[in-house]
Amino acid sequence: MTQISQIIILGLSLGGVFALMSSGMTLIFGVMRIVNLAHAAFIVMAAYIAYWAFKLLGMDPILSIVITIPVMYLFGLLVYRVLFAKLIDNPRFVELTVLITFALSLVIEGLLSYFFTGIYRSTTPRYATDTLNFGPFYFPEGQFYATVVSIILLVGLWALLRYTRLGYAIRATTQNRTAAKTVGVNVHQISMITFGLGTALAGASGSLVSFLFTFFPAKHMEWVTIILALIVLGGMGSLIGSLVGSFLLSALAAYVSFNFGPTWSPITFYLALFLILLFRPQGLFGKKMELQ
Amino acid sequence: MVILETEDIVAGYGSGPDILKGISLQVEAGKTYCIIGPNGAGKSTYLKVISGLLPSRKGRITFKGADLTGWRTDQILRKGICLVPSDRSLFPDMTVRENLRMGGYVLSDQKQIDQRIAEVCEIFPILGERHAQQAKTLSGGQQQQLAIGRALVLRPELIMLDEPSLGLAPKISKQIFDSIEILKRAGMTVIIVEQNARMGLEAADWGVVLDLGKNSFIAEAQKVLQDERIQELYLGKKH
Amino acid sequence: MSDQIISISPVSAEPVSPDTKKSRGRIIFLAILFLSLLLFPLTQAIFGGMNYWLHLMLYTFMYISMASSWNILGGYTGYVSLGHNVFFAAGAYLAGILLVYQGISPFLITPVAGLLALAIGLIVGLITLRTSGSAFIISTVALILLASIVMDKWELAGGANGLSLPLMGLKMATAKIPFYYAFLILAALTIFMSYRIRHSKFGLGLRAISQDETKAEVAGVPTHIYKVLAFAISGIFVGMAGALWVYYLTYLRPGLFLSIGIATHMVLMTLIGGKGTVAGPVIGAAIFIATNEFFVAQLGSSELNIVATGIMMILVLMFFPDGVIGTLKNRNRLPRFLDWE
Repeated sequence: MTQISQIIILGLSLGGVFALMSSGMTLIFGVMRIVNLAHAAFIVMAAYIAYWAFKLLGMDPILSIVITIPVMYLFGLLVYRVLFAKLIDNPRFVELTVLITFALSLVIEGLLSYFFTGIYRSTTPRYATDTLNFGPFYFPEGQFYATVVSIILLVGLWALLRYTRLGYAIRATTQNRTAAKTVGVNVHQISMITFGLGTALAGASGSLVSFLFTFFPAKHMEWVTIILALIVLGGMGSLIGSLVGSFLLSALAAYVSFNFGPTWSPITFYLALFLILLFRPQGLFGKKMELQ
Repeated sequence: MVILETEDIVAGYGSGPDILKGISLQVEAGKTYCIIGPNGAGKSTYLKVISGLLPSRKGRITFKGADLTGWRTDQILRKGICLVPSDRSLFPDMTVRENLRMGGYVLSDQKQIDQRIAEVCEIFPILGERHAQQAKTLSGGQQQQLAIGRALVLRPELIMLDEPSLGLAPKISKQIFDSIEILKRAGMTVIIVEQNARMGLEAADWGVVLDLGKNSFIAEAQKVLQDERIQELYLGKKH
Repeated sequence: MSDQIISISPVSAEPVSPDTKKSRGRIIFLAILFLSLLLFPLTQAIFGGMNYWLHLMLYTFMYISMASSWNILGGYTGYVSLGHNVFFAAGAYLAGILLVYQGISPFLITPVAGLLALAIGLIVGLITLRTSGSAFIISTVALILLASIVMDKWELAGGANGLSLPLMGLKMATAKIPFYYAFLILAALTIFMSYRIRHSKFGLGLRAISQDETKAEVAGVPTHIYKVLAFAISGIFVGMAGALWVYYLTYLRPGLFLSIGIATHMVLMTLIGGKGTVAGPVIGAAIFIATNEFFVAQLGSSELNIVATGIMMILVLMFFPDGVIGTLKNRNRLPRFLDWE
């Protein structure tokens, strides 16, 4: 019994981080119906930022969130401005943006590869390898901190959406874009800000992920599929959904990893993605992936 | 006193053809106008142009002496023009109260918004009762009230309603038009687009007939109602 | 010759229409092109030193074939597959394993690889084509990643390290020539099939689906069957290319065949040339490979290659979504010899 609980705890602890990783993508999809296949590439980018901050400045990766969030926010604004702002009225918008973000992920991967080579990297703060003990259960210390930070950031996101004027505008644009225009929301500006926000969340994720996993430029392919699995399960566009999906799937992946070996756990996500897309594409809580 | 003047408005969607082919209309303050006409005539398009949701390709819009041509929607809202679209354009997952709050989005003073919401709930008591319910759970008539209520949060001088009776049972439509009476008595200028020509014209001072993108006929509402051609074309009477 | 006399004389019975002239000119051009391509390897056999060009040409033929195949699903039907090299890998694995364990020549296996790809296409298509739009694109990505993990673990095929294949036993000088012809034939067959589909009722139905699937369904097009067929057919030649390519490379490894770069190339080439047209993928493949070679010669390193690929794809998507052929056609500037519709 303790063994299963332990597995579940391990799974849930990663669930928080996965939820943070996917929240940015969900947000962007909700507001603009863009499936940002470059989201994981953004996370890898931020992981490299955290890595170099660690290596060159001795900065603790969790602390590096202070850098990655603003840097990635600005990067997100830039990407939106250059790539998507003009396209938003194009009738083939959804199809085009999937391909464009895919191509963008390749560009980022290539540049990272060129500058930093394909060496496997990760930041190595002390807590990355220590464990915390709570009674009969153990918790890898790094994962614990990462989960706590993720939850704090997610709560912050929730508060932003629920209580601020910007949050209202984002929610309104997500729920009914034309209605938002009617009440005076500047949907173009909101779209841009949301893209920045989603990318900033990827930035924070990158900092955390830098000590949780080893990464290299091509790692984004694996992560993007995992994130997609989480989001599609939870329902595209639903933040609660991506949260639930994250915890469910990570618990499942932990179980698989324990019983079949760690190299099989990515398969859990890929298979889950495949099956959900087939049988219930709107996931648990969400809307179908077509443009409304 | 003319409060709104549109001169020679030409507009269309995307790169498509002109839907509006030169509409000129003068709207007097405090009066109610009903625009009728066949499908595709451009009635909804016209309202969208005035509210800034659709840019005009040619022509001018003047409101209270200011040239509004090319203004953004939020600027037009602040000037005092509100649109209640035909699909109500509510935020389905937000509560009634949150929807009303969105009505006041362009205002910055939260207290002011709260006060206005309270006023709106006096006009539409059901909104106060169901303020914590999600908008998508409301009935058709209630949603229409919410849509109008949301527009009222800004206390507009000119309110435009696109097909307020759309999809509503006759009894409910009557209730909606009763509430429009309240707006008229408060001195608002009202423009209504209605497929239900009879109901719309009976509530209006002036009737405007729009056909093929141009206004073909303007007269006092009663005269329009009694006009034989109108009766045949839009009211289904055979002569 | 006699036709021309008739067209000059004012008392002619029937003037030769410009269309007939056009298609005749086109056919002559294509025939000359094909003939020169057929004869080209002889320069290697006689003069030598052309191995680099032979390689480049057969590589281009392979991609012409693959891009044209992809185009049937992605261009004609409008369903973008980012995991199309699943077929490539299937053909390669079939041929590779049979060669290593049974000694059967891949040249013989190639048609079988095509059939395998067809079968896989039908089965997978029946499943994945229940989604559409972005959901479909993502499911193809998931498919490829699933396949790579499975292949990594398949011991029979050497897992992640793959297998080495026996060489053909030809001299260095002439080793590439059979592959050259094999890929040339493959490319020609694919283009022919692409052309035939375009001008068939099936092709018309596919185009209707790409414009508006619901309307097509309402108009009586059996959309689901057509989509699955398009998916399966689009895999045949890709599978065959895989069987030939693994033999050419003499090495079978998941990374070589299941890398997402191959799928991206297929997509990009079709986009550059003009998806939904017959000549598009052909031109696109030629343009892309030529520019790629240029960049490699200038910049050398391979990481910047995917950067260039990605940037090119973004530019094409944003500014030339109809590709070379499409944009030229829109401006009525399409030269006759490129109009293969």
